[in-house]
Amino acid sequence: MNRAAAVTGALLLIVGFAVFAVKAFVYDVPLRPTDVRGLWQVAQRITARGDARRGSISTMLPSSTPSQVVFDERSSSGPLEFSIRARNGSRLGLWSGRIEGVHEVLYQFRVQSFGRRPLLPERVTEPIPEDVLRAYGRSSPRYPMSAPQVETMIEDLNLPPPPDVVGRVRTLFAFVSHEVATARSAGDDAVLVLEQREGSREGKERLLVTLLRAAGIPARNVRGLQLVEDAQPAERVWTEAWVGSDWVPMSASDGFFGAQHPSLIMLGVGERPLVEGTQVSALAYRYHSMREHLRPEEIASAMAPDNRALANLSLYTLPLATQASLRLLLVFPVGAFIMAVIRNVVGVVTYGTFLPVLVAFALRQFDVLSGLALVATVLGVGVVGRLAVERLRLLLVPRLAILLCLVILTVTGFALVARSTETREFLAGVLFPIVILTMLIERYSIGIAEEGWRAATVRLAWSIAATVAVYPVFRSVEISHLMFTFPELVLCLMGLLVWIGGYTGYRLSDVIRFRLLARPAGDVP
Amino acid sequence: MIFGGLRRAGVLGLNCRNARYTLRWNPRRYYPLVDDKLATKRLCHAAGIPVPGLLAVAQHHFQIRELLPALGERTSFVLKPAHGAMGNGIVVVTSRDGERLVRASGRTMTAEAFDYHAAGIISGLYALGGQPDVAMVEERLETHPSFAGLATQGVPDVRVIVYRGVPVMAMTRLPTRASDGRANLHQGALGVGIDLATGRTRSAILRGRPATINPDSGRPVLGVEIPAFDQILDIAVRAADRTHLGYVGADVVVDAVRGPVILELNARPGLAIQLANRAGLLPRLHTVDRTSEPERSAEERVALGRELPRRHAPSA
Repeated sequence: MNRAAAVTGALLLIVGFAVFAVKAFVYDVPLRPTDVRGLWQVAQRITARGDARRGSISTMLPSSTPSQVVFDERSSSGPLEFSIRARNGSRLGLWSGRIEGVHEVLYQFRVQSFGRRPLLPERVTEPIPEDVLRAYGRSSPRYPMSAPQVETMIEDLNLPPPPDVVGRVRTLFAFVSHEVATARSAGDDAVLVLEQREGSREGKERLLVTLLRAAGIPARNVRGLQLVEDAQPAERVWTEAWVGSDWVPMSASDGFFGAQHPSLIMLGVGERPLVEGTQVSALAYRYHSMREHLRPEEIASAMAPDNRALANLSLYTLPLATQASLRLLLVFPVGAFIMAVIRNVVGVVTYGTFLPVLVAFALRQFDVLSGLALVATVLGVGVVGRLAVERLRLLLVPRLAILLCLVILTVTGFALVARSTETREFLAGVLFPIVILTMLIERYSIGIAEEGWRAATVRLAWSIAATVAVYPVFRSVEISHLMFTFPELVLCLMGLLVWIGGYTGYRLSDVIRFRLLARPAGDVP
Repeated sequence: MIFGGLRRAGVLGLNCRNARYTLRWNPRRYYPLVDDKLATKRLCHAAGIPVPGLLAVAQHHFQIRELLPALGERTSFVLKPAHGAMGNGIVVVTSRDGERLVRASGRTMTAEAFDYHAAGIISGLYALGGQPDVAMVEERLETHPSFAGLATQGVPDVRVIVYRGVPVMAMTRLPTRASDGRANLHQGALGVGIDLATGRTRSAILRGRPATINPDSGRPVLGVEIPAFDQILDIAVRAADRTHLGYVGADVVVDAVRGPVILELNARPGLAIQLANRAGLLPRLHTVDRTSEPERSAEERVALGRELPRRHAPSA
């Protein structure tokens, strides 16, 4: 290795490692992720169009309760003014001001959710508090507890005597869960749902609240989010009934009773939709969520180490979508580094320099076997197609385009098969490096013709071996955490890459290739 | 250390070739001179170095259908990409059978298939970087009678590695039936090392294994004298001089009529030549570095090159 390369590599390594070491050992930024259950980062993006009049956008904000701790709330509002108000026991975020054209606001928070399983008393003797009864025990247009159909139903159901509150709640819950069908297109009016024995999720929960109130049990609907890893969170509405001295969660549409899973976080209580606007049109919103792999206090130290410069460089304060992309992007240097080692130190030939990295990235959501089976099928169909197309004697670019179409049809076919087997995660197939796979098919086919079947397949096998070597990197929560929390490690990788680039020694494969020439010790020419 | 054996043998590895030799001695701006076979041809022609005759060129798809007519009654010729690498995309036609063309392998192809192949070349299928390429048709060289005993298929060539103007190693590559008439070791051609001092073949390699006979004919390939070896080294060195490249592989074919001609030059010559010669390149390259004097004539440099094997007596 020449001096310049050795020094450049060393400098990069030292700088990268120094920043890393200061962060990790002086400011205690956590090195390893912690497996915390129920810790999430959630973002809501709201867009609305206004015609230059004063208007407002409001959304339900989560509150800290015994079952969830909300922290690190941030909002971006542009020229609008942001304030937080309390209304009917919920928190509301309100952006107001002159809204002209399309406007976007962002609200982001971290939440640790513990789930909830209140004790269910066998007999309830204490009276219902006056304020609970007043707020959640009365009839309203949404919960028409005095409607004749509702009263008849309560009589027909033959509820247990009033002190057995849990028994009464269970009977009503069982009725709505099992006797009323869920249909997305069905209505959400409580009486209608009762009459038709069919309702939307919203409709079933409303009916449950209505019946509970009619039976003398205060009840309310709660809105929140069902958080899912690697997917958009789903809005949920569920029901809480006042039993003894606590609210008991249940959902006739999601089928839980008495226990609330930690992946369900509560945004607000009441009849109000999650997002509302005044003097605006085209109001739309979208939630994003991401699981956190650090405890709250660790997030705090990663987010704002006790040093202004480092705090400004922390990626933990970026918008959630950017964070999510960077978490993936920052893993690529590790994959590229592994490829450099595989090619220049091990000396294996693969198709395409970074092709294995891209394929490994695309496969990260699959387990390794089904992922490889997927690639193998696409390749198989492609190579057979390539042989068929070969007979037509087509020009290169149209031929490649035809292969591309074939690859996309194959992936489409997968999606159809996946639908019938309910493999939910197949959407990831869209991220497939389709163009790269097409080139791989073409080059493999030419390889077969020119180097022979064996040599081409050996090269293909090495490409797949390299993919398998890089794959765990994209799967690893540890590596993603390390690179995202300490992006300066990219400098270290660059330093190592400079060293590999300057390595003029033998590759491991040279030992095999030139074994005929290797001389025993002592035999010097 | 697992690399000890290679180090003692002075084997040049790929990392070392790239970093110390091609990257250092071959300035990128001169690569087009050797990567484009048409440019190489012009360069050599201008310097009075013999090259195979150019019969037809197609740069655009519409020129393809003029390729075969331009060849007239000629029955043997070679279609190749101007920017090809490692012998990829080359079609050798040895005779005609009515409308069909007979390839070196004995298989035939239609005129249509020939045009299709040329179209693939122009689209960049065989080009180094996949860029649009030029299809060229050259005269097919006739094997020199002295090679007849060595090779039964195709046209053997002599690869000479020229380092800073000095020939440091040479081998002849004998096409086999398995290599479809192509003189490429990884496609199954036989690589036979040549002793620079004597001009005789001294060791051989076939698909990475030692060999002593031609697999097609069963005839021995060692101890054979290469015809016009002085001339081969002379034009290899002079052609390399014209390229401004310090580490070149020159491919020379000895034609039955015209004698040695430069087939092509290579700025990234492969390393298997060491296997064919059972000798590492590094000691020889170091000797050239140590004894390097500017302004030496081509003759002096050839003389230095022919002394190298004696200085670094190979094993075997």
